[in-house]
Amino acid sequence: MADAAVEALTTFALLVAGGLLTGLVFALVALGLTLVYGVMDVVNFAHGEFLMLAMYATLGLALLGIGPLVGLPLVAAALFLFGIVVYRIFIRRLLAGPPEATVFGTFGLLVLIQGAAQALFSSDYLSVPNRPLQGTLHLGPIALAQSALVEGAGALVLTALVFAFVEYTETGRAMRAVAEDRVAATLMGINVQRINALAFGIGAACVGAAGALLMLSYPVYPTVGSQFALTAFVVVALGGFGSIQGALVAALLVGLLEVLGGFYLSPELKMVPVYLAYLVVVLLRPQGLLGRR
Amino acid sequence: MSPRPHLIALAAIVVLGLLYAFGSKDAVTLDLVFTLFLYATLGQSWNWISGYAGNISFGHAIFFGCGAYAAALCTNAGLSPWLAVPAGALVAAALALVTGFPTLALRGHYFSIATIAVGALVDTYVRTQGWLGMANGFELPIKNGLGWLQFSDKGPYVALALGLFALVQLATLALERSRLGYYLRALRANHAAAASVGIDERRWKLIAFTSCATFAALAGVLYAQYTLFVDPPSTLALSISIDIALIGVVGGIGTLWGPLVGASVYVLLAKEVALRLGGSGKGYDLVIYGAIICLIAAWRPHGIVGSIIDALRRRRGAADVVSVQNPAEAA
Repeated sequence: MADAAVEALTTFALLVAGGLLTGLVFALVALGLTLVYGVMDVVNFAHGEFLMLAMYATLGLALLGIGPLVGLPLVAAALFLFGIVVYRIFIRRLLAGPPEATVFGTFGLLVLIQGAAQALFSSDYLSVPNRPLQGTLHLGPIALAQSALVEGAGALVLTALVFAFVEYTETGRAMRAVAEDRVAATLMGINVQRINALAFGIGAACVGAAGALLMLSYPVYPTVGSQFALTAFVVVALGGFGSIQGALVAALLVGLLEVLGGFYLSPELKMVPVYLAYLVVVLLRPQGLLGRR
Repeated sequence: MSPRPHLIALAAIVVLGLLYAFGSKDAVTLDLVFTLFLYATLGQSWNWISGYAGNISFGHAIFFGCGAYAAALCTNAGLSPWLAVPAGALVAAALALVTGFPTLALRGHYFSIATIAVGALVDTYVRTQGWLGMANGFELPIKNGLGWLQFSDKGPYVALALGLFALVQLATLALERSRLGYYLRALRANHAAAASVGIDERRWKLIAFTSCATFAALAGVLYAQYTLFVDPPSTLALSISIDIALIGVVGGIGTLWGPLVGASVYVLLAKEVALRLGGSGKGYDLVIYGAIICLIAAWRPHGIVGSIIDALRRRRGAADVVSVQNPAEAA
């Protein structure tokens, strides 16, 4: 009897730890989305596809002998440049059109990138060869995968770095100024186009880093981004569009919901509590948990 | 504007289509024409809520699925699929009411993401229900005759799809000239101003959403009787919703003929891609569709028909006429 209770508790603790670690990676993905939204009011529907590209890039580097953790800064930098290019030639044009153009446009980008990945890499699931960190770490009765720990810790550090950048640097302040009032920011001499491009680049770099971390434990395939992007939409809406702290809190919550739902309901139902949470929050508290309106 | 030119054009399409449906024996082209009218119907159904009302949906396939599953359940139970016409429409209308009531008040991306979430929930529900065939779906038993909505030739299917399209097109023409149509466009242009003159957003959008959901369900019944196979990926997955939205966007949202133009582009592209690049599933079709959406969004955000209308207006020099697409723009 007591044994069964202890076992149930251990399982629960294990799930909570796993959920929180997953949530930290969600936070990094959602951070990129919420940053772009906050600065230029664009929901990048192709955000998950950027993540997928980052995962393929990580795989490519791994095949050249550069492991995911060493490759991380390279992938993040590549995605940063990619984001700036996409902003300069595409997103900027969308912003000049009617409001729905950004929804369609980034959605078209999603379809385009996903199709290109299918055409180039086929639909196979591919993993990094000789993955590092395959062991487990034992904390009493709780055993955690080293890869999950490194993913969570890495994501936390990077989220903190981006937060510090936005909060404490001159450029970060300019970014927040644009988010608050574009016209006033322009009048203060801030180059809004430059800030937008930078925010889009940083948003892409966030998924660049997240993609490299995720390759420690996930395979990559052309539609891998969709599930993360859907989760990221939910996280960003839960936390409040544009709010970084909100995204972090919401990501942890969503990570927990997904892992606990997957275990106690059934694996194919793991997203159900997450979607229900989105619907409940946008209906009852449209500004999100920590959002402003 | 008088509806007469639209009615004449529609009558011409119906006559030509019927002549073709019963005159041609070319199964491949008949299949394309069937798909064209089926998708034009779905695109127009989407256009009601996403074009005229401005709530961009990425979950419209669930209503199509209602009709398709109703037909599959009826036929497999030995009942006539004609029963699925009211049944599917009713289920779709109920689903639209239940999901629309809370979500239609959401705007912009909040609504779009909510439709993705609802679509995924419906998809998951169907995949886990034994009586709905789980992930495998259903095959429909082969019957014959109008009573079973099954025919040995493709001609009658084309005629039915054409008839359905004509019906929805007439309904849309009526919508454009009705109180509902004016209210929807007013809400889309400026919801606060519309609300201030007493237009109840939720009520009118719910009416539009429920009506257009039934159109999509009717298309679903016809689709199921045509392919005789129904499963989640072919009827209610996100990818079907994307196709529907694509057709609406390419043709021009909020325009009467946009969905037909969008569906023509879609069908021709699908055929070309299949011919030259060896079918879908390899991603080439997605690359082309994605590129087209991107180009339209960035350079022609009003779609093909919307751009033509704008160009015509500009030539007439009607500076005082408000743009169909975005009345706020002209103000």
